[in-house]
Amino acid sequence: MEYLLPTLRKKQEVDSLIRDTLDKVLVLRFGLSSDAVCLQLDDVLYKSVKDVSKFVTVALVDTTEEEIQVYLKYFDITYVPSIVFFFNAHHMKMDSGSADHTKWVGTFQRKQDFVDVVEEHMVQGCKSSLCNCRRYTERQ
Amino acid sequence: MTLFWLILMNCLIMKMIFCLIVLLIKEADNDDAEHMEEDVDGDLADIEALNYDDLDSVSKLQKTQRFTDIMQKVEDALENGSENSTHGIVLEDDPEYQLIVDCNALSVDIENEIVIIHNFIRDKYRLKFPELESLVHHPIDYARVVKKIANEMDLTLVDLEGFLPSAIIMVVSVTASTTSGKPLPEDVLQKTIDACDRALALDSAKKKVLDFVESRMGYIAPNLSAIVGSAVAAKIIGTAGGLSALAKMPACNVQLLGAKKKNLAGFSTATSQFRVGYLEQTEIFQSTPPSLRMRACRLLASKSTLAARVDSTRGDPAGKTGRTLRAEIHKKIEKWQEPPPAKQPKPLPVPDSEPRKKRGGRRLRKMKERYAITDMRKLANRMQFGIPEESSLGDGLGEGYGMLGQAGSGKLRVSVGQSKLAAKVAKKFKDRSYGTSGATSGLTSSLAFTPVQGIELSNPQANQFGGTQSTYFSETGTFSKIKRT
Repeated sequence: MEYLLPTLRKKQEVDSLIRDTLDKVLVLRFGLSSDAVCLQLDDVLYKSVKDVSKFVTVALVDTTEEEIQVYLKYFDITYVPSIVFFFNAHHMKMDSGSADHTKWVGTFQRKQDFVDVVEEHMVQGCKSSLCNCRRYTERQ
Repeated sequence: MTLFWLILMNCLIMKMIFCLIVLLIKEADNDDAEHMEEDVDGDLADIEALNYDDLDSVSKLQKTQRFTDIMQKVEDALENGSENSTHGIVLEDDPEYQLIVDCNALSVDIENEIVIIHNFIRDKYRLKFPELESLVHHPIDYARVVKKIANEMDLTLVDLEGFLPSAIIMVVSVTASTTSGKPLPEDVLQKTIDACDRALALDSAKKKVLDFVESRMGYIAPNLSAIVGSAVAAKIIGTAGGLSALAKMPACNVQLLGAKKKNLAGFSTATSQFRVGYLEQTEIFQSTPPSLRMRACRLLASKSTLAARVDSTRGDPAGKTGRTLRAEIHKKIEKWQEPPPAKQPKPLPVPDSEPRKKRGGRRLRKMKERYAITDMRKLANRMQFGIPEESSLGDGLGEGYGMLGQAGSGKLRVSVGQSKLAAKVAKKFKDRSYGTSGATSGLTSSLAFTPVQGIELSNPQANQFGGTQSTYFSETGTFSKIKRT
């Protein structure tokens, strides 16, 4: 799936991407492109990238690379694939029903599930003081 | 005394003068009668034709000088072929143009004449085969069929192939077997056959005239014939009664020139053609796909009206306007047939970034009023300081009543008030009373008794609000309808 979604192999690439994505949710998938579950997840990601492109950036991180091991240790990634969400360089935590709130482990069943998750991240990110995006919650 | 006689004499003289005038008018009327019969007024002819017996008293067109003159000229012109007279001459002075104008008028007259003769034939043939007139509408077809059948009672011996579509032949044969008609006497039959012959002769004369006009069409109306073709142009000019008459018509009328009436005889109208006239025969119309035909027909009608208007003032003798209009029509029809642009999938909008469109205005306010908090509920929500509120179950249990009904509250009495929501719901259910004629209560039975005997169950809740419940002052009623007398 490397040719469909941007794949990151170097630490510096990951860093710059995290820093440079402004006002958008950044979805980093840590995994192997040969794994079956990973492939399914990548498929879902690829299908939804166009639809959520207005507020989401998706990137794949290859866990077999040397430089990426730092991240695996930092985020405590053991199971593959895992998804970590960022918003404005801030790590977003999410309660997905499991004990680990820092990441999402495994694949999404349907495209809509992924879109829901990511939309919720966007809403929360905007609500927080992290961003200055306008929201129309009250009457103007 | 003399005054009285003077007045009397005056009256008499006035009467005489009046009678004379009436006589004169009547004579003039008689002279005009001939012309009127040839004219569009078929009604007068019908009334006069009620007590006729002779064909000649009805249809005089063929005997008139005008008719024979024009037919002679047309035949000459057709033999000579098209001699393109010099365009230098102003059109109106050109004798051929005059002839064409006359031909147009004549073709209209011939058509009316045919209608009159058709009525004549129909009336005579009614004794023999009354149903035929409702099966075969077209006058010329009718005349042909009548001529073929003549006095024959058994239709299997008559071969109607080629005169009518086969479905109608079938219907005609079936109807003939059960017809209530009787064979005609010999002289009536002869008159009928004569009338049919005359109708057919008139029809062929009309065809000749139209052929002539068509051959000259490029000279008369180049722009119009550039768009619709010379045959159709000739036909519509003929039906309209001249080029200037056509130019004065609105395009919607031009579209319907020559439209056939609906054909019945068991044919469903689902497949019947929409309202198009002679324009249906144009090449442009025939080459458009059926789904676009309606639009194409309207477009054609409008552009051909424009061309006719140009032609009637001889604004463009070369026909260039017509050709540009035709190219325009083609382009438009091409454009209609293009497939729509492909739909691009749009990305989802950022959540909560679009403002919710809040509506306002009187309607919304009225709607919100129905669910607004009533005064009673407002009072119940408040409490007075220091005074424990009453509650429904007493002692602080149940729902509290707040300031409702307390001595300290400003109001003496709190009424239920007009609940708009309840009123609206009640009105809705009242309007939905299915099929109860007159009786408003929903408890009347709909069994078929006489009105006096009708069963009515008594409404147990009728006296709930005490006494007679007038709807005028009712608190739950809505606006009453004031009927205009």
